[in-house]
Amino acid sequence: MKKMYLHPIPVRLWHWINAACFILLIITGIQMRYGDIVKLFSFETAVDIHSWTGFILIANYAIWFFFYLFTLKIRIYIPTLNPIKFAKESITQALFYGYGIFVGNPNPHHPTPDNKFNPMQKVTYLMIMALLIPVQIITGLLLWDPKFFSKFVNLLGGIKIVDTIHVVLFIFFTAFIFVHVYLATLGHTTFAHIKAMFTGYEEEEEEHESPSISI
Amino acid sequence: MDNRKIALIFLVIVFMIIPVYANATKGTLSDEAKMCLGCHSIKDMTKALESKEILSLYIGGKEFSDSIHNMFSCSGCHPDISMEKHPLVKKISSKKEYSKNASKVCKNCHPDQVLKKKPMHGSLIAQPKAPACAECHGSHDIKRIAELKAPLTESQYCLICHKYDISIPLKSGEFLSLYVDESVIRRSIHSKLQCGACHAGFSKVEHPIRVFKSKRDHSITAGEGCGKCHPDAQEQYKGSIHHIVLRENNLKAAVCIDCHGSHSAVKVDKNLGLISCDKCHGDVNAAYKLSVHNAARIKGKEDAPICSTCHKSHDIEVTAMTMKMKDKCLECHKDAEKAHKKWLSNPPFKLSSFAEHHLNKVACALCHSPGASGGVYLCLYDQKTKKPFSKEDVLKLLGTDSAGLIGKLDTNRDGSIDAPELWNMVKQLNEKGADVTLTARMDVRKGTEAHQIAVKKEAVRECERCHRTDSDFFKEVSVVLLKSDGRPRFLSAKQGVLTSVLSILPVSEFYALGSTRLGLLDIVGIIAVLGGIAFALGHITIRIITSPIRSLRKMGKGGKE
Repeated sequence: MKKMYLHPIPVRLWHWINAACFILLIITGIQMRYGDIVKLFSFETAVDIHSWTGFILIANYAIWFFFYLFTLKIRIYIPTLNPIKFAKESITQALFYGYGIFVGNPNPHHPTPDNKFNPMQKVTYLMIMALLIPVQIITGLLLWDPKFFSKFVNLLGGIKIVDTIHVVLFIFFTAFIFVHVYLATLGHTTFAHIKAMFTGYEEEEEEHESPSISI
Repeated sequence: MDNRKIALIFLVIVFMIIPVYANATKGTLSDEAKMCLGCHSIKDMTKALESKEILSLYIGGKEFSDSIHNMFSCSGCHPDISMEKHPLVKKISSKKEYSKNASKVCKNCHPDQVLKKKPMHGSLIAQPKAPACAECHGSHDIKRIAELKAPLTESQYCLICHKYDISIPLKSGEFLSLYVDESVIRRSIHSKLQCGACHAGFSKVEHPIRVFKSKRDHSITAGEGCGKCHPDAQEQYKGSIHHIVLRENNLKAAVCIDCHGSHSAVKVDKNLGLISCDKCHGDVNAAYKLSVHNAARIKGKEDAPICSTCHKSHDIEVTAMTMKMKDKCLECHKDAEKAHKKWLSNPPFKLSSFAEHHLNKVACALCHSPGASGGVYLCLYDQKTKKPFSKEDVLKLLGTDSAGLIGKLDTNRDGSIDAPELWNMVKQLNEKGADVTLTARMDVRKGTEAHQIAVKKEAVRECERCHRTDSDFFKEVSVVLLKSDGRPRFLSAKQGVLTSVLSILPVSEFYALGSTRLGLLDIVGIIAVLGGIAFALGHITIRIITSPIRSLRKMGKGGKE
């Protein structure tokens, strides 16, 4: 079993702060939106937590952005620009998740610090980090004070459109969290990836070893 | 007839008339008159009437000798009295009755056809309640009209007749009282004005006949004269909702004298509105009387608002569905935004814009009038002119009239506008060259609620009052079409117009967190989350089911465990 230092401290810090923020934002978002059904906090408390957490998330996103930009590690998110190669690798990875994993085939992707994500992860995380989270942050900021940002709100076509975008992304992230957490259990052991996100070290089975059974 | 004969006849007439006239002007009384005055010149001479009134029997000798009738003997007008006979007991019911009876004799010399020659005089004496001749012209001191007028001011002259309870019939069947209480005029701010100042065309020499359809018609016409001295007020009034409504033939609309009175007009008091506005807006006034504003007024607070503080006085505007009232509130409550910012802010930064956003979307009264029922009001807004899109323009573009409008919009005929109908309305207008959208505002449902402002501590502060789907404030939704003069027409809409996906574009500028959430997104959300969970559960299930395969393969590849 070899160990690889895959997640430097800034990345781990960012990840767990981001995770906590996401959970808080989702819970308080649900409370604000479904106050007639959900009674966890008062509307005012939910708004306060949501707003504070939103700004923490923005600051946290800045940590991620500058860390990956200045260390040039941002490239780990960029899929290959060769479309045929990208398609082949993606299909191989999808076949693994959709078939290979069930019959005990090895994961075709072996993460390294320079190539941490498989092609499907790259395209998904790039979309999330470069597009969806910024859009969610921007729409969240506009909703945070629609009057202060009224020019931008109007530019996007009105507050209802801004809200609709924010809620659609909220739905995506909420659904994605279930998938993300589940996929995190698909390491060589159930908690391997999760543990790695705490320690920084990802354990990987040696090539000669057969894949362990993890369910 | 030659000229000599004509001159001769003229001279004869002149010499016949001059002595009589000269006698009259000299004040030479008849023997009979002198005899009667022997008793009736006693000032204390009176007679008790059946009505308990005391009738003075005194006759001023000088006044009589100066009167135009001085050449007549007393029995000429009092046929039951002569030098030979004088009724000892004469029953007289009242002064009025006495005057009436005594005046009958006037017609002996002044027949009806002469008296009615002047139409106004004719119309006056034809009335059942017409004053007796003596009441206007006097009795023993009767003078020629010209002599009578000369020493009198215009108002005094008018009051000769108008101090009596006279009236004229109107086309409506009503009777318009022409009575003027002199004491009221004396107390009024116009006491120094003569009648003709307001009653244009009337003077000591002119009395045109005017015809009014009704008493209201008279009041409206009377008010028109005020502009002569108060042109600014009249100009302002012409821009007011009262005048707009009046122009539309709504005769109930207030005119000058409705608020200021006519002959009783006094200096405008700050609280005039509480009395005058109350005549038509009693329900609103009753609500105001319960308000914190009225309480402050009663306590003597100088700047406590009254009707005109917010609604102005002459240029009264329609305020419904506008920001005018908010601006009015902030005129006095200058620190309102700051005060709201203290608690209505979004952490971590306290920006006044967040409170301002709420104040722009929610009418002050909705939170500050306890128990007020609220609603959401959607107004068409012209994106080209940045002004409300008028009802007239809507009717023009939709090719309908006011009566046919609802039929044109409510295509499924269920009595209210739903989301597809709202979408179609905006779509149709924009297809026909307009560039409209809908703005929304939360306001009280009744005008009375806007006036019952309570103390600060009673104001709504719970966010949930608005930010909940089941909020009462969102149960009533209306589409409001504003006429170009600002008057609203409310068309009932379904609550769903705020939560339908079809509202995203037409009502893109209104959104209340938790209250206007789109139903479709709720469904998408449930499907997406269930999908995410289903993916994980499905995948893990297949992994469990296929675990024997992997075990076998592992054993095959790695040998026996």
